[in-house]
Amino acid sequence: MAVDAIPAGRVQLPSQARSQSRRLAVRRFKLTLLLPLIALFLFLLTPVLLLQLYFSVHQWTVYLSSWWDADFVGLDLFQEVLTDPRFGWAVVRSLAFATTSTLGCFVFGFLLAYLMYKPFRGQAVYYIIFILPMLTVPVVVAYTAEMLLYQSGPINDLISRIIGVDFKPAWLTNPHIALATVALLEIWNWTPFSFIILLAGLAAIPKEPIEAAEILGASKWRIFWEVQLPLLRPVILLALVLRFLEAMAEFPKTWALFQGGPGSATETLPVYIFMTTWQYFQISKGAAMSYIVMLMMIVIVLIAIHLLRREKRSLDQMYALRAKDAEG
Amino acid sequence: MATKSRRRLMSSIVRYMILTGWAIIAFFPIYWMVSTSFKPDIQWFAWPPVYFPDPPTLTNYMNVWLGSEQYDTTQYAISSQTPLVSLWNSTVIAFTSTFLAVSFGSVLAYGVSRYRILSEARMFQLLMLRMIPPIVIVAPLSLYYSALGLLDTRIGLIMVYFLTTLPYAVWMTKSFIDEVPREVEQAAEILGASRWRTVFEIVLPLIRSGLVATFLFILILTWSEYLLALIITKTQVSTLPIELSKYQGSTEGRVYGRQAALAVGITIPLMVIGLIIRKHLARGFSFGMVRR
Repeated sequence: MAVDAIPAGRVQLPSQARSQSRRLAVRRFKLTLLLPLIALFLFLLTPVLLLQLYFSVHQWTVYLSSWWDADFVGLDLFQEVLTDPRFGWAVVRSLAFATTSTLGCFVFGFLLAYLMYKPFRGQAVYYIIFILPMLTVPVVVAYTAEMLLYQSGPINDLISRIIGVDFKPAWLTNPHIALATVALLEIWNWTPFSFIILLAGLAAIPKEPIEAAEILGASKWRIFWEVQLPLLRPVILLALVLRFLEAMAEFPKTWALFQGGPGSATETLPVYIFMTTWQYFQISKGAAMSYIVMLMMIVIVLIAIHLLRREKRSLDQMYALRAKDAEG
Repeated sequence: MATKSRRRLMSSIVRYMILTGWAIIAFFPIYWMVSTSFKPDIQWFAWPPVYFPDPPTLTNYMNVWLGSEQYDTTQYAISSQTPLVSLWNSTVIAFTSTFLAVSFGSVLAYGVSRYRILSEARMFQLLMLRMIPPIVIVAPLSLYYSALGLLDTRIGLIMVYFLTTLPYAVWMTKSFIDEVPREVEQAAEILGASRWRTVFEIVLPLIRSGLVATFLFILILTWSEYLLALIITKTQVSTLPIELSKYQGSTEGRVYGRQAALAVGITIPLMVIGLIIRKHLARGFSFGMVRR
């Protein structure tokens, strides 16, 4: 097993004893490499997960004294969460928010990457401007949005001037569009992410198949659909999956801008968990809710990982091929 | 042929129009933040909106960063902690946790790349540390921390950041180590270098630039983190993103100019770092799966 990893060692193995001591040394080396990770899991992650389990089956709030005196309530809290309509709405909002913002980032990111993957004058300048939103702290995005989006603010003013009609949506106070506002901010903030990943993917597509198709007289449209797009599939999936997962966890913008309001219009899962735990101080309900969300996310992440593993293999193959080409 | 060249010209014009349009969308909010930070207070919230600060003033910066100017402090009384202290906290926390993540992560990545100490499946499970929203563990984490006395300390935040950025560090450095030919290490081994020496004196120096890119990339993440900082640090130690939200809670409500001055200060280091490693951002965000 271990010996396979160091082929150089295989050449010089005079005796049985030496090879055995070597194997031991390798094993010790591997264990040492792993130690920090094991320590982190044992001392940081495991206790936290155990505490979470404890609180989700014991009724406790900060108003009670020591938390080990809390009453055991079995699965009552889980039942309470699952029958809570606010929780259901939070799930719906989170999924809707993550889906729209992921698709938005993808569409804009793809358009920009497609327009930019071939060299042209000014490419570097555009690239730098396009990645700036991603390099802005999320909380800063939220507060800047507040400076821009109030009803008689600059954004509405500019749009009104351009289209010549009074355009005055209440981005920040209308409960019907508040979540859409956050989604727009998320798209502004993270389109660069989709853009850079898709740009790197487009630039890495081998030239030969496209040239071959051009010689055969295929139209640009057909080359795009039948050659480029299939070759891009791994990168596209990567951009979608990673963005979706990050959007499910989005908290800073939603919280800093709306704190769940107006009404409960922007109460996504992270926001609702935060409010339950830190504003209503229902630690136990928050823990049960966290547990449910964690399980839900584990399922989603496992699906994501399944997809990513497959795509990573084809990406690795592509890079290996390219490296071979570069050598030969 | 004339029509063809005209069509090419047209498509080029359309391309520039779309790109410039998006460039304006991408840049305008950043411009607004910067220009607001130079506006005197009557222009923060004026109608019609003031697009160019007139006259530009440094009052906001002086007040926020130096706390030198007295005339507004009662009107916009903010928080006990000064931003300079937060800046120091942010710097210490971001640099230390990033340094930990990259040093342990790169050694771990070496083990994965050469000795397979983690199988491919385990490597993907490691990603879960990043992919599952941190909100699901913050409540028990803060209780655990308060039991350990780590709540509201730098060490506490450093440990969590270390844990949550470790997947990025391992995956990104592994993608660099994978590109180092094994012959180099085999040669070192034949010459009698120990395993640790091979790691620290041969492999890691070879991926120097990759390590720097990984370091700066993770610095971006730790510098701008909000949720964990919000919960783990309360009054003693707050980072810059948290400091920024304190301006919201004041009774005056809209102290845009001050907020913008602080926001510019937080954002500039991030943009500088990001532009330095712009070629590596795709690799970083995709856990090393996409390379350039």
